[in-house]
Amino acid sequence: MNTATGQVIELQGPRRRPGVRGWLLLAPLLLWLFAFVVAPTAIMLVYSFCERDELGQVVFELSLSSYARVFDATYLKILLSSMKYAAITTVICLVAGYPVAYFIGRAREGVRNRLLMLVMVPFWTSFLIRTYAWMSILKSEGLLNGLLLYLQIISAPLDIMYTPTAVVIGLVYSYLPFMILPIYGSVEKLDNALIEAAFDLGAGPVSAFSHVIVPLTRPGILAGVLLVFIPALGMFAITDLMGGSRVPMIGNVIQNQFGQARDWPFGAALGMTLLLLFSLFFLLGLRKEQEG
Amino acid sequence: MKRISALLILMFLPLVALLGCGKKEGPAPQSTGSGSAPEPKAGGELNLFGWSEYIPQEILDGFTKETGIKVNYETFASNEEMLSKLLAGSTRYDLIQPSEYAIEALVKQKKLQPLDPARIPNLKNIAAAFRNQPHDPELKYTVPWMGTTVGIVVNTEKVKEPVKGYKDVFQPKYKGRIVALNDAREIVSWVMVTMGMNANDVTPENLAKIKPTLAEWIKLVKVFDSDSPKTALLNGDVDIGVIWSGEAALLYQENKNKFQFILPTEGAHKAIDSLAIPENAENKIGAEMFMNYILRPEVSKLISDKFPYTNPNTEARKLLTPEQLANPASYPPLAGMETFHDIGKAAADVDKLVTDLKAAQ
Repeated sequence: MNTATGQVIELQGPRRRPGVRGWLLLAPLLLWLFAFVVAPTAIMLVYSFCERDELGQVVFELSLSSYARVFDATYLKILLSSMKYAAITTVICLVAGYPVAYFIGRAREGVRNRLLMLVMVPFWTSFLIRTYAWMSILKSEGLLNGLLLYLQIISAPLDIMYTPTAVVIGLVYSYLPFMILPIYGSVEKLDNALIEAAFDLGAGPVSAFSHVIVPLTRPGILAGVLLVFIPALGMFAITDLMGGSRVPMIGNVIQNQFGQARDWPFGAALGMTLLLLFSLFFLLGLRKEQEG
Repeated sequence: MKRISALLILMFLPLVALLGCGKKEGPAPQSTGSGSAPEPKAGGELNLFGWSEYIPQEILDGFTKETGIKVNYETFASNEEMLSKLLAGSTRYDLIQPSEYAIEALVKQKKLQPLDPARIPNLKNIAAAFRNQPHDPELKYTVPWMGTTVGIVVNTEKVKEPVKGYKDVFQPKYKGRIVALNDAREIVSWVMVTMGMNANDVTPENLAKIKPTLAEWIKLVKVFDSDSPKTALLNGDVDIGVIWSGEAALLYQENKNKFQFILPTEGAHKAIDSLAIPENAENKIGAEMFMNYILRPEVSKLISDKFPYTNPNTEARKLLTPEQLANPASYPPLAGMETFHDIGKAAADVDKLVTDLKAAQ
């Protein structure tokens, strides 16, 4: 991260404003951002202040009722429990992903690329198919229970499918690579000399890790935490398929407004509130980072 | 950092590719260029918006082979989802597959085109039981596709006690062993009829009255699934459930000694899923040709073979095997059952109530 900003500053030296060519090069990205980020968000913003009619069509009448409903205790409670699930997922991903990322980052070049490949292989098949695969592993008469029963480790099948545990397993499985890859990026750049210096100056392994390695890989950790926490919070497919739709997450509630409940303005209001929340967190984090 | 971005791109490539495919497969009604002429018999396209797990691919292929009309089949999982997409108006459909209460709402809002009976002579095959229904008494707008109901399925290997109605299912001793449809209106209606109310009488007072019982019931359920509720039963994750009759019929076919279908004594309701033509359809003639096609006995039989709901086609029923007709979940006595009516804005109250109670666990 630091070297990247350094390069930007160097480039800005001779020429401060991008010329026509610069804009041309940027144009596809800007168009993409406008068409798929700015415009849809603007539409959602407008919808969130509208009303719905009997059939569920959006009526363009200014109304704050959707936002009033967002602060209903039910939805706040759902938001909190979704945050809890996302936080548990993030912590497990971090604890499990950091050693993996560190190992890959420190491995020999050839081995490293192969290991990275392995991290990414799952992305070659659809995420839904992989979720169904997990269902057939975890189900009552599934592979896991079959194996454990066969080995006589358990006497009755474990009840995993359609429980919060299944949801967390699904979430951790889906998002682990998003934790490993950014941390790997930081670890790979880690200067060995600094770690050796820490040992030379009398630091034990624990102290070297917590005072040198972790601070140096912090950008990767932060990126990983964001990449896991935010999508995990909005996920609805895993909670539906592996959790049996029993405990709604905020993602399910939003999705439901655009489907069954037919209340687009309310769904839009929920979405906008989440967006606002994330932006706030992000800005706070950014400011803290700059201060540090 | 550069390498990381390359990696990220690699990771997202399949995703992007997937999105690309999705777009290509979806109906593209604006691009009339591909359908060469407005004359539908010469070819053209038909944008069909139907339920998932309900229309066999071989029927679509057969129709295309015979008429040259390409069918773009897009799916939905609930009437509400279909309505919100249809009414958003960004995609034009030539043929939709709503159930009776959605039909009622659509007719009320003048969103359906009347059919031309001259082009659908096979309509005569529809059984009397599927005519004179309140949502479309003279079949002016719709062609019945299949009748369904909602009933109880019991895994008799695990549940030994007799089960007769909803209140036998939702008992504390079955906690964590129940699958239910993930459909707020359905589960609310089960409590309503159990408490002696009419399932269509969705008023704030009635909702307040059923709330405590509904809360208890929701706590007992292990899985809510509308798409494929049979899966949890087949996998052995649950032993008892309240699910679509067609799904129950498939379970019965799978193992008729193990899975038993029961119509709840408190009162079941029926649904009639039908084909209809939205007002802004571009290929009305093609849509009517499709309706006439699926009403042929031999074509209708193919639907029953794959999705054993209640076939409304008298001629097609004659082609079914005695086993198919003996399946209690396929051919329950639909006669006296009521259908759901459109409840307008109360639907939001129902959704709120169920979300509320699910979150409160």
